[in-house]
Amino acid sequence: MKNQILQQKYNQRALKDRMARYFVAVGGVSVIVAILLIFFYLLQVVIPMFESAEMSEEHSYRVTGEARVMHLGLEEQGTMGVRFMDNGNVVFFKSGSGEIVKDVNLNLSAKISSISFNLDRVILGLDNGYVKIVRYGFDLSYPNDIRTITPVLEFPLGEELILLDESKKALIQIDIQINEEGLGIVARTLDNRLVYARYQQEESFISEEVTIELESRSERSFEETISSIVLTPALDHLYAAIDGGVLRDYSLDEEGFNDNHTDYKIRKNITELKLLLGGTSLLIGLENGEVQQWMSVRHEHGRVFTFIRNFHETQYPVTEIAIEQQRKGFAVADEKGEITLYYATSQRTLTSINTAGKIITHLAWSARAQNLLAVDDQGKIYLYEVDNEYPEISWDVLWGKIWYEGYDESDYIWQSSASTNEFEPKFSLMPLTFGTVKAAFYAMLFAVPVAILGAMFTAQFMAPRMRQVVKPSIEIMEALPTVILGFLAGLWLAPYVETHLAGIFTLLLILPFGFILSAWIFSLLPNKSIIDGWEAALLIPVVLLLIWLSMMLSGPVENLFFNGDMRTYMSDEWGFNYDQRNALVVGLIMGFAVIPTIFSIAEDAIFSVPQHLIRGSLALGASRWQTMLSVVMPAASPAIFSAVMMGFGRAVGETMIVLMATGNTPLMDMSIFQGMRTLAANIAVEVPEAEVASTHYRILFLAAFILFMFTFVFNTFAEMIRHRLRKKYSGL
Amino acid sequence: MSEAITTKIDSALFTANESEEDTEICMDVNNLSLYYGEAQALKDINFKLKKNKVTAFIGPSGCGKSTLLRCFNRMNDLVDSVKVEGEIILDNENIYAPGVDVTSLRQRVGMVFQKPNPFPMSIFENVAYGLRLQGFKKRRLLEEKVEWALKGAALWDEVKDRLDESALGMSGGQQQRLVIARAIAIEPEIILLDEPASALDPISTLKIEELIYELKSNYTILIVTHNMQQAARVSDETAFMYMGEMIEFGNTNTIFTNPAKKQTEDYITGRYG
Repeated sequence: MKNQILQQKYNQRALKDRMARYFVAVGGVSVIVAILLIFFYLLQVVIPMFESAEMSEEHSYRVTGEARVMHLGLEEQGTMGVRFMDNGNVVFFKSGSGEIVKDVNLNLSAKISSISFNLDRVILGLDNGYVKIVRYGFDLSYPNDIRTITPVLEFPLGEELILLDESKKALIQIDIQINEEGLGIVARTLDNRLVYARYQQEESFISEEVTIELESRSERSFEETISSIVLTPALDHLYAAIDGGVLRDYSLDEEGFNDNHTDYKIRKNITELKLLLGGTSLLIGLENGEVQQWMSVRHEHGRVFTFIRNFHETQYPVTEIAIEQQRKGFAVADEKGEITLYYATSQRTLTSINTAGKIITHLAWSARAQNLLAVDDQGKIYLYEVDNEYPEISWDVLWGKIWYEGYDESDYIWQSSASTNEFEPKFSLMPLTFGTVKAAFYAMLFAVPVAILGAMFTAQFMAPRMRQVVKPSIEIMEALPTVILGFLAGLWLAPYVETHLAGIFTLLLILPFGFILSAWIFSLLPNKSIIDGWEAALLIPVVLLLIWLSMMLSGPVENLFFNGDMRTYMSDEWGFNYDQRNALVVGLIMGFAVIPTIFSIAEDAIFSVPQHLIRGSLALGASRWQTMLSVVMPAASPAIFSAVMMGFGRAVGETMIVLMATGNTPLMDMSIFQGMRTLAANIAVEVPEAEVASTHYRILFLAAFILFMFTFVFNTFAEMIRHRLRKKYSGL
Repeated sequence: MSEAITTKIDSALFTANESEEDTEICMDVNNLSLYYGEAQALKDINFKLKKNKVTAFIGPSGCGKSTLLRCFNRMNDLVDSVKVEGEIILDNENIYAPGVDVTSLRQRVGMVFQKPNPFPMSIFENVAYGLRLQGFKKRRLLEEKVEWALKGAALWDEVKDRLDESALGMSGGQQQRLVIARAIAIEPEIILLDEPASALDPISTLKIEELIYELKSNYTILIVTHNMQQAARVSDETAFMYMGEMIEFGNTNTIFTNPAKKQTEDYITGRYG
């Protein structure tokens, strides 16, 4: 009977033990599972960005008739194409089958001798010196919920031909650019002249009819052979490819040609010229298959046309370059029959496809670069499907210096969006990583000494009754919502520091001197032992007084040493630029947020150093400070180390404070007076406006992934060091 | 620099020897009372401590013998709300006089605690700790002193090949002898031993006792112990304390064989304790 009860009790206890074990195990495993889930979720969003592009041939068919294709266009979804033939016919066709939808003859009085285009506007140069501008379009409608495309052909400047060359010679090459101010047309004539005409464009409010008025017309003759010409969108440069490997840069103004032109030696014959999206960069296709990117770069003595980077070296002459309409990508065809996709910013060769030796003469992208239409010299049309979502990303783009359009040199830049579609996204994570480290660095610079010295005093020198108040108070600081701290930092502290800058620096000098002075006065007091352990409380009014004094001195100090304004003085005399929201403010406020984390752990550690060690040291004649430094601190070091790591981890991941107090400028400048943008703040700012599944969106996830991995690796590393230290000091 | 320090040590040793010839009295305790807040822990203690002798304090738990021991290097100062009355004279100076430098007092009066408390450092650094506090920096000099102290604590042969290993890896008996070496490294005049063998096994205890016997030729030793046999074995003089009072103080043989007070006899014969 008794044994039975004992057995029952034993069974119950075993059951409880087992339950507790399972409960703990389930808890631990689910934490690991949760972390792994986050890890894989982030990874799953990031990974598609690194998958390579693919291109496949969907359809190919032959164009009937004698006429040659001069230009190709493709509708946004890639379902309908348009081709301009040398006999003056404009043919709309289904890109999948080649079935002709609409065939219009332009009824031109002369033969087409050259053609060029600017987006959907096509300019035809005729052999009598006249030009005609045609706009093609694809109107979308949904009758009975069926997507229907209606081809449109318009003459935006009227049906009349426009006389470009007054000598009425055939126009061998032609180019057109349209901007807000007007339009420019340039052509090379058969008798070796370059004719440039600039028109004012006016739109009638009532009829919306556009009329143009000639502003200037000028021409230059030349002796060399020009194979290709390109006009810049700002109508300030004309680039001409001259046989023998020379690129000529004619300078243009409102009056037309001015006398300046510069020759650049490329050394290889130029076979193709195209402006990259936005018209800032010029792509030069060469006879050896190379494509070079050049752009105008600002130097001390004006702008210099500069080689930026190159692509492709197949040893076969480039026959055609087609630029994407929404990104800085392009497709290149060469005489070997290879079509290759590139991306300018990332300098990446994305994918290529071979047409089995056919020479591709023209290429056309659909607006979203998902379809590519090509025609070879035998009149065969190919439709390719392109899967190329994330060409912008490469290791160099994320972590290296890139020479972006409009910049003087290669640099680390983060600028994910702008008001124009022609903008080159700049996705360098370096400034963000740098900003994260910078913010954490300044926060730690402030927090670590304050927190650890505070912990040392509180744990070993402070009166127990005061410690009972101080420790919980500091720990409650940790519960302050960081949004409030950020709010204070941005709206109160930043402007205050700005106006009392001299006072802040005076404080740095006054505080130590004030402390030493008050310590000296304190040493003169009789009967000091009464306030033993309450010294810190005595110091509070001293600190407040010193802060007040420094702030009062701010104005006079500025007047005395900095000509009345420290900010201006700093930037004029020392070259420090001052941002209102800067690392100083972030350091102070984020330091304030991090102090409780570090303080709490460090204080616990220092307080729990065994008394017998402390007594052992004191009994050897050590002072309390000597004991603190040579016995207590080494014994508490593992926990203090992990306290600092925890603080650093918090500073790195902190979002709201940096978001509100840094100005979010992605700069790479260690200056304490400059702002920064951190990875965490960047995610918070940009995720709401990033298009889902776009490159930008995935890069933000990559940033999150990096933060996650950083914290993970950093904490693991810290924990390893902590374990080693703890092993060293175990057995106390 | 090192010569200056050596001279200083030599002269310190010299004056120690000199004073030995002058008088046999090392410390003079006059009317010493100690209060923890309101409670009086020591009641009007008077005795004279003889030089180069081992004096044992015996008595039941809570009788105040450890408190008395801690008065000699003022370790009681660390306890809150302690009040001390009376005086302890060391070299014609009251150690409780205002303005006395407690750290230099503790360098003259070393202490070893009940539980071995080596610092989390190497064996070498443990012994060198007190020397470094006094400003010794020369490695060679430190090595000499550490070797001397470890030999003095009968530990040298056991640890000479692993001086750089952590002291925490030693056995309890070794740790306690290390702590004694640490105490004698700074050449104190007096060593206070607070139940130094109570946490040790019999063999380690024996070693400590042998060590105490050897040390008394150079140091004045005060030992607190619960172990009556130990007090009888190691000490020259014994003080019996009870309820904060010093009941009897005298030659160990006399106390153990022919105590003057009945309380002493009762305690020694095991009637209470």
